[in-house]
Amino acid sequence: MILDVKGVTKVFRGKGKSRNVANDNLTFTINKGEIFGLLGQNGAGKTTLVNQILGLLTPDDGDIELLGESVMQSPARARSICSVQPQSQVPLGLLTPKQAVTLMGKMRAGKKFNPKRVEKLFEALDMGEWANTEGEKLSGGAKRLTTFCMAVVAPGELVILDEPTNDVDPVRRRYLWQVIRDLTKNGNSVILVTHNVMEAEKAVDRVAIMDKGKILIQGDPSEVKSSVGDRMRIELSLEKELKHIEVPSWALSSHQNGSRLVFSMDPSKVSSTVNWAKDQADKGLVIDYALSPTTIEDAYIELTAKKEAVL
Amino acid sequence: MGIVSHYKYVFQIQLIRNAGFFIFIALLQILISIGIVIGFTYLIPNPDTETILFLATGAPTIIFIFTGLVILPQQIGNAKTDGYMEYMRTWPVNRSVILGADTTIWLLITLPGIIVSTIVAHLMFTPGYDISWTVVPALLMIALTSIGIGYGFSYLLSPVASMGISQAVVFGALMFSPVNFPMDRLPEWLQSLHEVLPIYSMAEVMRASLAASTFDATIGNYINLMVWCILGFGGAIFILNRK
Repeated sequence: MILDVKGVTKVFRGKGKSRNVANDNLTFTINKGEIFGLLGQNGAGKTTLVNQILGLLTPDDGDIELLGESVMQSPARARSICSVQPQSQVPLGLLTPKQAVTLMGKMRAGKKFNPKRVEKLFEALDMGEWANTEGEKLSGGAKRLTTFCMAVVAPGELVILDEPTNDVDPVRRRYLWQVIRDLTKNGNSVILVTHNVMEAEKAVDRVAIMDKGKILIQGDPSEVKSSVGDRMRIELSLEKELKHIEVPSWALSSHQNGSRLVFSMDPSKVSSTVNWAKDQADKGLVIDYALSPTTIEDAYIELTAKKEAVL
Repeated sequence: MGIVSHYKYVFQIQLIRNAGFFIFIALLQILISIGIVIGFTYLIPNPDTETILFLATGAPTIIFIFTGLVILPQQIGNAKTDGYMEYMRTWPVNRSVILGADTTIWLLITLPGIIVSTIVAHLMFTPGYDISWTVVPALLMIALTSIGIGYGFSYLLSPVASMGISQAVVFGALMFSPVNFPMDRLPEWLQSLHEVLPIYSMAEVMRASLAASTFDATIGNYINLMVWCILGFGGAIFILNRK
């Protein structure tokens, strides 16, 4: 086991008596060679948790162990076990990607550092054209890829990636996932912090869904999906506004995102749903539709919505 | 891995990242320090040699104050705002290594201005430099004190607050501090204040090593510097390690 988080609670006290419970009694573990997805909306408490794993913040309650030793006892040790890609852009100034990644590799690995690793990473991510461009002249995606490389050039036993694919184009995203996969083959573990649920689903071995400081559910993707039952989902692109469309009564949970409408249903309702969707398309209300088994995103939305309903 | 190799790589990252800015500041300081020596002779008509020596031996102190208490806090303010400070905190190195590497860079930036202005002042006015061997430890001590204090308050305070302090410091140091003129011209309350603040001690120690036959610094000046230096760096390391 690489990481053991035991009942971690972190409360931020604001002005007066205001309290923000950023992490509420979180417990989970991460094994060697595992990719662990930490999903949740903005403000769910993901980055606070990461900062405690790194020893940058001290939990108010609970304990975090890295390779069997408490982080609080030795934060410096925690920082050498973990390598991090932060959520925000790192201002590289005049450092070129090659310089930045090489120096970070040397800082982490010392004499064991292999310069070929930088070449290989740049090749794998198709970054050659920017390798010697000054950081301040790089595009957002190229900067993000550079900080990703800084985190994985001499990876710690635990690599923490906070929204690594932000700003990155779809083609290089695929390369990036491949690099992450390769890390785990060498026995490194990865924490993937993201709100991009669709992407994470394909990459992670296990996930935890966080909301308002709590872990709502954790397990492998199929376990998390089955928490919302064995269902199908349909995704529709709307031609007209939602108010023109009558969502069928058998829709179990629905949500709309721009012109995209998604709802889930019992598998027995698949044929009625297809007929309904075809009918909507014939009326010119829907551009196209796709039917699939439920995804983690459905579980995620249902779980976070449920919690709001309770409150 | 050893502290020395960590230091080496952190130094390289920090230096290259900001190389353009550092070169600009080093050049600017050459201009400022020459400007102090020459500019004040316009302000004071027919200055005698003693006055010029005061100005010439005060200029390096102004440079250190300017670097440590104005430019450095601005840089820290930027690093805080753009998230670079948070990123440095995740590095697998001892925090004092980062502080040490940055301090070396700031030291290197100030040296050209001090050397060039001293040579220029000597060639133009021959005010009576008498450089003692103590110049190396004295420069080091003054530089570390101003850099340390700069770190201390800019780590402690918000970027806006430390910017405000910077503005007050640069004005106060130029006009109301016994750096470019003797202490006894100041009102008594300011004199007592300067006995506690580090600026007067910096100026005295600097003068005593650049013109050893004309000026003396007291043990008290050295102790004052040491206390401020430890307060500054100690505070900065404390804040860097705070969770």
